[in-house]
Amino acid sequence: MIKVTHVTKTYDDGKVRVEALRGINVEIKNGEFTAIVGPSGSGKTTLLNIIGGLDTPTEGNVIIGETNIAHLSENQLIDFRLNHIGFVFQSYNLIPVLTAKENVEFLMLLQNKSEAERDERTTKLLKAVGLEDQINKKPNEMSGGQQQRVAVARALASKPDFILADEPTANLDSASTANLLDIMYRLNQEENMTFVFSTHDQRVIDRAKRVITVEDGKILSDIYA
Amino acid sequence: MSFWDKQPYITFVPFVMLFKLAWRNIFRNKRRSIITVSSIIFAVIFAVFMRSLQYGAYGNMLKNIVSSYLGYIQVHKQGFWTEKTLDNSFSPEDITYLLDHENVSYLSYRIEGFALASKDDNSKPVAILGLDVQQEKNRLGLDKKVVQGEYFTNRKTGILVGIGLRDIMSLQLGDSIIFLSQGYQGSMASGSYPIIGFIDLKTPELNKRTVIMDLAQAQELFAMPNMVTTAVLGLKNDNWEETQQEVIARVDTNQLEVLNWNEMLPELQQLIAVDKAGGLFVLFILYSIITFSLFGTVLMLTEERSFEYGVLIAVGMAKNKVIIVAILETILMAITGIIAGLAFAFPVVLYFNIYPINLSGQMQEVVEKYGFEALIPTSLDPSIALSHAGIIFFIVLVVNMYTIVKIKRLEPIKAMRR
Repeated sequence: MIKVTHVTKTYDDGKVRVEALRGINVEIKNGEFTAIVGPSGSGKTTLLNIIGGLDTPTEGNVIIGETNIAHLSENQLIDFRLNHIGFVFQSYNLIPVLTAKENVEFLMLLQNKSEAERDERTTKLLKAVGLEDQINKKPNEMSGGQQQRVAVARALASKPDFILADEPTANLDSASTANLLDIMYRLNQEENMTFVFSTHDQRVIDRAKRVITVEDGKILSDIYA
Repeated sequence: MSFWDKQPYITFVPFVMLFKLAWRNIFRNKRRSIITVSSIIFAVIFAVFMRSLQYGAYGNMLKNIVSSYLGYIQVHKQGFWTEKTLDNSFSPEDITYLLDHENVSYLSYRIEGFALASKDDNSKPVAILGLDVQQEKNRLGLDKKVVQGEYFTNRKTGILVGIGLRDIMSLQLGDSIIFLSQGYQGSMASGSYPIIGFIDLKTPELNKRTVIMDLAQAQELFAMPNMVTTAVLGLKNDNWEETQQEVIARVDTNQLEVLNWNEMLPELQQLIAVDKAGGLFVLFILYSIITFSLFGTVLMLTEERSFEYGVLIAVGMAKNKVIIVAILETILMAITGIIAGLAFAFPVVLYFNIYPINLSGQMQEVVEKYGFEALIPTSLDPSIALSHAGIIFFIVLVVNMYTIVKIKRLEPIKAMRR
């Protein structure tokens, strides 16, 4: 469960003051497939960053499970992200010098998981995203769609509580987008994995079970499909 | 253990992964890595060769002047070194107990006097060195330095003359030289001595003014039976500093002085110090260039990888591990450069140790003016190579401070904004 209460975020460089979020309250339950939508500058990415512990709120609380991450130190947040949150980025952001298998295995190594456990989970995840025959390829040897599927497998590798995906389909063609959405939807259905997207993409919005619209730093609408 | 305490240490498996990341990163920009490693190789070769040459030259000076003639430690009558008069002499019996010292293998007694040497119309002031010609034959290898005539084989009479003096006074074997001087306690010293050989003492300054005769003959010439001016302490090992202190503690310092080669030849020490300082200045310039070159690499690497570092931190990699990856990359390049540099430098240094550089022209004149052989062999002292490898490694660590600070301050959101 993700519980965001009275969250505000103000950027102030001494010259310009921007209120990116103005008192956001939202709850995302386990197993949801949620899209956060809104125009550029609406605050959706800021909200996603704060939920993901990449940014801290000016005011308010972000409670994930039983932990209020708004009060964690920088190092505590890094460890929290490793063990509780999976990230999928718009530009895939795989480690270029590692193979698909090594990229997926990477977070488990940071978690000091055993080799047997790493091997088993890596194989399972790459199979789940349909890349079991690409395990030894490096990112520059794969298409954008394939890279994004490796990124999804990597995000799932650390057994996170939920996955945050920032514009995951922005750089993909239609076929790759459909394929990626199928995979994520299946993981959501079969493994009850929580997905939270920030997106402009209508194809993602169409597949979401819940759509939260943010505008001017406030939630404009919150609709369950 | 709370959940955020899971990453503070580095276990072996993650370290292998960190190492793998760093190693593969080196090959991402091969050209830059090659330039960086090459600059380190060049620095190591240049620094090690230059320093080996300098230290080799010093070693050769010491070998020429100190170990083969002067000795590391000498005992004299108090005041002899500042006022070299024969009246400042002592009896060998006064110090025979020094042979009991564990690092003293022998005592070599000498008379060092001066006289006016005459042959026909030529006369020249010379230094007369009276020593036990049989005992010193092997110690100083004097017999091997005789270039014309013979050493004191089965005899103790006659004199050996430096080849420089031979040329100046147009001397020949069998000629007799007349010496005139003041002997012990104001007595008249004179005598005529046949030349039995000419000797090359390897240092031109010594060759121009040295005459060697047997100690007994010198004692007779200067009318100082059973007296000497100098006792050279033969050491079992080169630990002369400690030995000198221990000898000082044993002798009556009101009567005797115990001097080391540094004190006897302060100008040699000064020459070495000045030369070392010059070498250090060149090294400082070299290392400054290397520092900026390495810093440039580190700067580019850090800036280029900021996005990646941001991603790694965002997905949960502790900053200290990101720092390790970043630093390992430059450390691996430095180690590669240092090892390759040492591998290239060693044969060069070894070659010039076996076949020393033979100075010629003006350089030869300058060096010989100071009384040294115009040969520069390189030193094989491993501490030279190790110290310069260490300096470069230290520079790498210092320039990586930038990476550490940069990553410590890195905010993943800002870093991931292209």
